[in-house]
Amino acid sequence: MHRVLTTCCFCACGCNLYLEVEAEKIVGVIPSREHPIARGNLCLKGWNSSEFVHHKDRLRYPLIRKNGRLVKASWEEALDLVAKKLSDIKERYGAECLGVLSSAKCTNEENYLLMKFARAVLKTNNVDHCARLCHSPSVIGLSNAFGSAAMTNAISELAGAEVILVTGSNTTEQHPQIARFIFDALARGAKLIVVDPRRILLSRFAHVYLQPRLGTDVIWLNGMMKIILEEGLFDDAFIEMRTENFRAFSEMLRSFDLKHVQAISGIPVEDLRRAARTYASVKRAMIIYSMGITQHISGTDNVQSIANMAMLTGHVEQECTGVGPLRGQNNVQGACDMGALPGTLSGYQSVADEGIRKKFERVWKTDLPTAPGLTATDMFHGTGDKKIQAMFIMGENPALSHPDLKTTRAALQALEFVAVSDIFLTETAEFADVVLPAASFAEKDGTFTSTERRIQRIRKAISPVGTSKPDWQIIRELSSRMNCPMDYESPAEIMEEIAMLTPIYGGVYYDRLERGWGLFWPCPNRDHPGTPFLHKGSFARGKGRFEYISYRPPAEIPDDAYPFYLTTGRIYEHWHTGSMTRRITALSREQPEAFVEINPKDAKRLGVANAKPVRVVSRRGEITVKARFTDDVPEKTVFIPFHFREAPANILTHGHCDPGAKIPEFKVCAVRLEPVQ
Amino acid sequence: MPDELILDKEHLTGFLRKIAKERELVAPVKNSHGDTLFEVVSSVDDISLDLESKPVMPAKNFFLPRTETLFHYQRKGKQYLFKEVLPEVPRVLFGLRSCDLWAILFLDVVFQENFKDRYYLNRRSDTVLINIGCREPMRNCFCKSAKSGPFLTQGYDLQLTDLGDRFFVEIGRPRGRELVEKWDYFFRPATNRDRDEQYEIVLEAESRFERIVDFDTAISRFINNEVDDALWEELGNRCQGCGGCAYVCPTCYCFNIVDRPDSETEGQRLRIHDACTLAGFTRLAGGHNPRHERSRRVRRRFYHKLPFAQEKYHRPSCVGCGRCVEICFGRVDMIHFIRMVCERPEKSKEASLRLGEILVRAGVISTEELKIALEKQDRTGKLLGTQLIEDGLATGKEIAFALGRQLGIPETVGTGGVVGR
Repeated sequence: MHRVLTTCCFCACGCNLYLEVEAEKIVGVIPSREHPIARGNLCLKGWNSSEFVHHKDRLRYPLIRKNGRLVKASWEEALDLVAKKLSDIKERYGAECLGVLSSAKCTNEENYLLMKFARAVLKTNNVDHCARLCHSPSVIGLSNAFGSAAMTNAISELAGAEVILVTGSNTTEQHPQIARFIFDALARGAKLIVVDPRRILLSRFAHVYLQPRLGTDVIWLNGMMKIILEEGLFDDAFIEMRTENFRAFSEMLRSFDLKHVQAISGIPVEDLRRAARTYASVKRAMIIYSMGITQHISGTDNVQSIANMAMLTGHVEQECTGVGPLRGQNNVQGACDMGALPGTLSGYQSVADEGIRKKFERVWKTDLPTAPGLTATDMFHGTGDKKIQAMFIMGENPALSHPDLKTTRAALQALEFVAVSDIFLTETAEFADVVLPAASFAEKDGTFTSTERRIQRIRKAISPVGTSKPDWQIIRELSSRMNCPMDYESPAEIMEEIAMLTPIYGGVYYDRLERGWGLFWPCPNRDHPGTPFLHKGSFARGKGRFEYISYRPPAEIPDDAYPFYLTTGRIYEHWHTGSMTRRITALSREQPEAFVEINPKDAKRLGVANAKPVRVVSRRGEITVKARFTDDVPEKTVFIPFHFREAPANILTHGHCDPGAKIPEFKVCAVRLEPVQ
Repeated sequence: MPDELILDKEHLTGFLRKIAKERELVAPVKNSHGDTLFEVVSSVDDISLDLESKPVMPAKNFFLPRTETLFHYQRKGKQYLFKEVLPEVPRVLFGLRSCDLWAILFLDVVFQENFKDRYYLNRRSDTVLINIGCREPMRNCFCKSAKSGPFLTQGYDLQLTDLGDRFFVEIGRPRGRELVEKWDYFFRPATNRDRDEQYEIVLEAESRFERIVDFDTAISRFINNEVDDALWEELGNRCQGCGGCAYVCPTCYCFNIVDRPDSETEGQRLRIHDACTLAGFTRLAGGHNPRHERSRRVRRRFYHKLPFAQEKYHRPSCVGCGRCVEICFGRVDMIHFIRMVCERPEKSKEASLRLGEILVRAGVISTEELKIALEKQDRTGKLLGTQLIEDGLATGKEIAFALGRQLGIPETVGTGGVVGR
């Protein structure tokens, strides 16, 4: 038996673990004790992260659709077909009718290569990935305010904070290791503020717990800032030296009426006052947020409000003090960093900037498209004239993860050609004309970038299962077939190119990643040690910018016909569309089936029994799930996790998006519930 | 060959090299990332042996692996063919800490007391256990309180004590003697001076334990039901259900059995580690879970580790290695638990009330009878259950049932069975 150190493939905490290998089979997982995040333990997903690798459902050979059915094919045949189809359709409709979905599950090198493939080979900027559905508002909101869109601090700094405000993040379930640092902080006497419509586990430990109505974040944030302003708890020296536009912001804020707080958000002003005083009166305070803030049509507004509050109190640009958007997937930070986004090349360098384009064109030896690309949501829900005709989808599962699934699936169905590379035959792959079997995280080398901007190695523990290939090799093969040979021999070689073209990754080389526990970007050159916390001395954009935000209600709120709020999300034991975790014994045993969390009072009124099926109906469709009674959800609000293909919560959600970030409002829609007889 | 020997440190590599030729040599090795793990040593020259720190995982995985194939199956027509996997590896575990060695002895009992578990026993059968006593407790160690270290008086094949430039070697069981006799030229007899030196080291090591973890008080409070619900609830909230405590515990032996198909016609039956803090561990077919709340699962875990083991094996099953303390997300570990229990004020009256309530609700006694019994109990100082039995108001069986309820033990199992297996 031998052990291979690698990075966990689930959340973005970035735990390092050893895969135990015996005769080309992974037989165990051991957390690293020295790793600063893992610290000798993993969550249940991590401990069981290897089981899906050898599952019998793994795709072992390519599939091609013939007479409506997916049948076994050779790699030659499959790759030739994908190359031919993409070329043909590009010829017929133009490059802007091709769409590419990259993957937050894949490595940095693979994301870089796929966005290069989209731009340099297909000649389109229509490349995006699931960050669209999770933190696109953070990318815009924090860029507007601070100039850089990532966690401002390292995870471990949480333990040194005096106050931690957690909002829209069910941290114990979604980022267990980060919750562990919060527990450490609490043990040292830190105060915890939790703001969440659901009474999440962390609220049991909170010194102040606020329970706003869904989609009213701007209201309580403005209210809290108004109180801070009124009570003189703001940091005027910081505001003066480090920020701009404060005057206009504060004037608008002064005109904000605190009466709205209780009326709209349901939070009593006195409770909010306690939260405001707790947060503003200490030196080191951190805000942790996640999907509960971003997955709204006002997602960017919410993020910017958080940035406003951090700047107002001077709670940023120091150690143990800042704003932490917790990224969901193992490498969603990296996929963004690598430019798997329609508007930016790697390192958030704009495609609209001619100088930047020139730099890439010189290395890539081709000209690049200038027109901005389509977002992932626009590819499926867009109404524009540029209709997508063909897609290449790497390791993403929009047929379960996108909102308003009927529309999403109809869009997939309508495509002339879809190629999917994945490790399992996902719901999306079922729509594909060609399915390419990809290697899992355990079968390839590469890097992941965790939520704290820590770039870490993943290492090949076993050979690819069946005839599967790592995605970077698949892209390389495809590119060669489309007259753009890529001759990379290894991910390390790809990273050398990334480092050359991407200032924030400028000093990232594989030999450096062998020592220590990765590098924090920005890491501009070989001698640079990396940057655990951002904005020291000055914001990335120079001065932090205040922007007053006015409240906008959610796109769909309950009415007589659909009287309940529905909010969706994840649970501890499962991972996104469940393609991996539902194939893991311990995890599927913990949570075998879909459910709806409902307040017992509502259930009683409706005549719904605990653990019995209930029909949940929205304007888009309906699903049947088992009721799970809990007063962790307030009355008139229900929660459904979106992992379960047999009862997909996203049948119910709608496709309305944040206007700038194009993130759908997964967190709020209106439903009605009917007991099933 | 005397029972006490000296192995000069310069001979250690030579001794291990000889061992490795005949048996699989397993030793704590610090890898290039700084983690110390028990590794199978293929070459004694290329490793950095680490006798200073506690390996991340205990040694139990060599006998009860995380994933263990019990047999392969193959379907041929209507027939099934089976191929059992029963590896027997001649092995030396070198450099075990005393706690980890003690834990293996504990598992030996568990895996053969009622049912002889061939899979475990086969892997275990030809193993030599060599421990090294700890001169200094490591972080979170409390083996002294758990009576499983820092040095052992029995159970080892060989026990080493670091005397600076040499190891003091004590021969325990016959396998140890065989090993030493085979390569006796590495050893020389210990002198009285060596013996004195070793004795002093043992005394000094024991005196260095600052952590007193009071198992006895915790167990007695547990048995007497003096642990209040608020504590369980708090622990239930703190437990994140990662399963880590069971995975890293050297004496946790619960497992799950699953069949994993490799194709439509072939597959294997696996035994994989399980954890009692998981909901699926006790959920019954049909969906009912007698320990639905996490607080009850946490309670069950400590119940099993402490009073249950105490009654069955006359000692807690915790060996004080401190691994759960180091890794728990929410401080739901042995040290914090015992501290919390011991620091709480006593509250037997309240507990009795609850026992009474259960009996009233079950229709065993009336509210009036309970009131009388409680008043009487105040005077006699007897336990409520005893009082009720003496007064002929309840039978022993009924009291046992009520106590079981209170402790969260499902009726079908009762207080005597091993629920965990």
